[in-house]
Amino acid sequence: MSINTMNSRERVLKLFRDEKVDRVPCFSGMGNVTTEGLKSLGYKFAAVHLDAKMMAQSAASTYKLFGFECGVVPFDLCVEAEALGARINVYAHSEDLLYPTIKEKVIHNEAEMEISVPEDIAERGRVPLVQEAISIMKQEIGGEAAVGTYVLGPFTLAGQIMELNDLLKLSFKKPDKVGRLLDVLTGAIIKIAKSYEAAGADYITVREMGATSDVLSPRVFKNLILPYLGKIFSELKGSTVLHICGKTNDIALFMKESGAKAISVDQKNDLAETRKKLGNEALIFGNYDPYNTLVTGDEEKIRSAVRKCIDDGASAVWPGCDIWPTVPPENMKTMMDEINKYGG
Amino acid sequence: MANTEKEKELLERLKNGVIQYDEDSVKEAAQEVLDVGMDPNEAIFDGLVSGMEEVGRLFETQEYFVPELLMCADALYVGLDILKPHVTKMDMGVRGSVVIGTVEGDVHDIGKNIVKMMFDVAGFTVYDLGRDVPLDKFIEEQIKTDSDLVCLSAMMTTTMVGMQKIIDKLKAKNPNVKIMIGGAPVSREIADKWGADGYAADANNALKEAISMVSALKRMRDESRQQTK
Ligand code: B12
Repeated sequence: MSINTMNSRERVLKLFRDEKVDRVPCFSGMGNVTTEGLKSLGYKFAAVHLDAKMMAQSAASTYKLFGFECGVVPFDLCVEAEALGARINVYAHSEDLLYPTIKEKVIHNEAEMEISVPEDIAERGRVPLVQEAISIMKQEIGGEAAVGTYVLGPFTLAGQIMELNDLLKLSFKKPDKVGRLLDVLTGAIIKIAKSYEAAGADYITVREMGATSDVLSPRVFKNLILPYLGKIFSELKGSTVLHICGKTNDIALFMKESGAKAISVDQKNDLAETRKKLGNEALIFGNYDPYNTLVTGDEEKIRSAVRKCIDDGASAVWPGCDIWPTVPPENMKTMMDEINKYGG
Repeated sequence: MANTEKEKELLERLKNGVIQYDEDSVKEAAQEVLDVGMDPNEAIFDGLVSGMEEVGRLFETQEYFVPELLMCADALYVGLDILKPHVTKMDMGVRGSVVIGTVEGDVHDIGKNIVKMMFDVAGFTVYDLGRDVPLDKFIEEQIKTDSDLVCLSAMMTTTMVGMQKIIDKLKAKNPNVKIMIGGAPVSREIADKWGADGYAADANNALKEAISMVSALKRMRDESRQQTK
């Protein structure tokens, strides 16, 4: 007999509302489009970033094919930067699986750091396209699965619109100046995220991976970045997640203090320790290895990793980053099969 | 060997200037090195580089993070720029030349920049192609500069695959060039499988491996030169 008494959407929404769920959900706040899904639709990866319908269908295909419990758009990290004036490369010529990148930054030197954000930022670049993709997804799978989206955190966004090396150094040398930039970007992020909420997103993940402890000290994270994350989460009314990948044990407490409804960590986080630190009530999503387990693992590894996430105290089994698209379909099915058996 | 008190003091100031990412203090100390007629080569290696070694240790123990590392490197470059022109080529023991870059489709360049810095420190001539570098660019640049070594960095599983193509093409064009690859998803096994000559998990080991590869290359060249004589 199945342990499931709710559909995926109910399960995820209840989780965010701190209500009882029939089993641990298995979903993501980051990209989870698969090559298998693209193949079923006949789409090239390079094409799905520029068309709302194609984007929505590709995102929904992971739920349709495997029962992974959500659909998430977009797939790249350039949307906000583009709305702010950066130029991007989608590698249209390439048959390989290349993610869009920033080709031309907005800020080229320190003097250009005093930018302002246009009033209509949520109507620029591909922001409307993502809004539309959210609405289409709502129609396609919204009754059964949760519909999610993401924005970048202010520091990671700053690293997209200016040279990251300069940003990192200035965080020490001129924290006030960096703080002012982060403040401006925070305003832009809030506007964009609110427009996604209005389009019908059930939850929004803020991805602040540029601030991982692999790169930046916990002290700088707390002093320079946390206040702006706090501002974002106090403005958003719906369900929110703060994601940071890499080493995060030393900042997990700060992540929770940001006011995000849930925090998301990857396989480098010792989740059992984080659970202990944050207590039983906190929503902690993670920390399933999206490549070394999900893509390259054998059946036993895929199953035992699901159990380990749950045993360590994950509130949702959730990949530590974008699911790597080349994931073999059997592996997705195995992961979902295990959650249905063990998640109760 | 630093023989006078003054020389010892200068070495100490260079070293600490790098560790404390104090560009001004490094600049002053380097200038004084030249003024008192101290051996610039010694100032570089026992001052600046020794400071950078300590920085590497602080990074490993997580007292320093990437921003600190970058600032220390800036301080080091300030010193190198002043001292290097006064070093005769022979003393510098020029190690060789290297083309480095992050492969096409990949903008992760923090790790690559750290590896590059290690090469600069050790006296290599470095041609940095940056990030998201089209695969053929590596081959063109190697031929143009006749570099001993090509270093490829990739942080994603998909972009990593591009390395294999570059290795095949480079080896076809120039069987003598040495290729080293690295980045989080790369492993020794992958490097072996794809026919790369070297691999390293971090910047320190990258440098060690590079030095041994380039020395092997030089030995080979010397031997073949002897034979043709
Ligand atoms: C910072 C970061 C970013 C920044 C990069 C900014 C920049 N200018 O570099 C931004 C936000 C732009 C970014 C974007 C993306 N990222 Co990212 N990112 C990271 C992160 C958090 C840190 C990487 C880092 O700099 N580490 C610190 C440095 C010091 O370590 P390192 O790079 O490993 O380098 C050391 C060694 O590897 C070695 N080394 C490195 N190069 C070389 C070369 C040679 C020759 C040798 C010998 C050694 C060597 O020496 C270095 C020093 O010791 C990692 C996760 C993580 N914690 O690792 C993800 C990660 C690399 N990103 C990932 C992904 C998926 C993405 C995106 C595709 C997301 C998206 N949906 O668009 C995009 C890709 C864009 C693109 N096309 O390139 C995944 C890759 C997954 C995979 N298996 O392929 C990772 C692993 C996250 C995860 N947990 O899954 N990212």
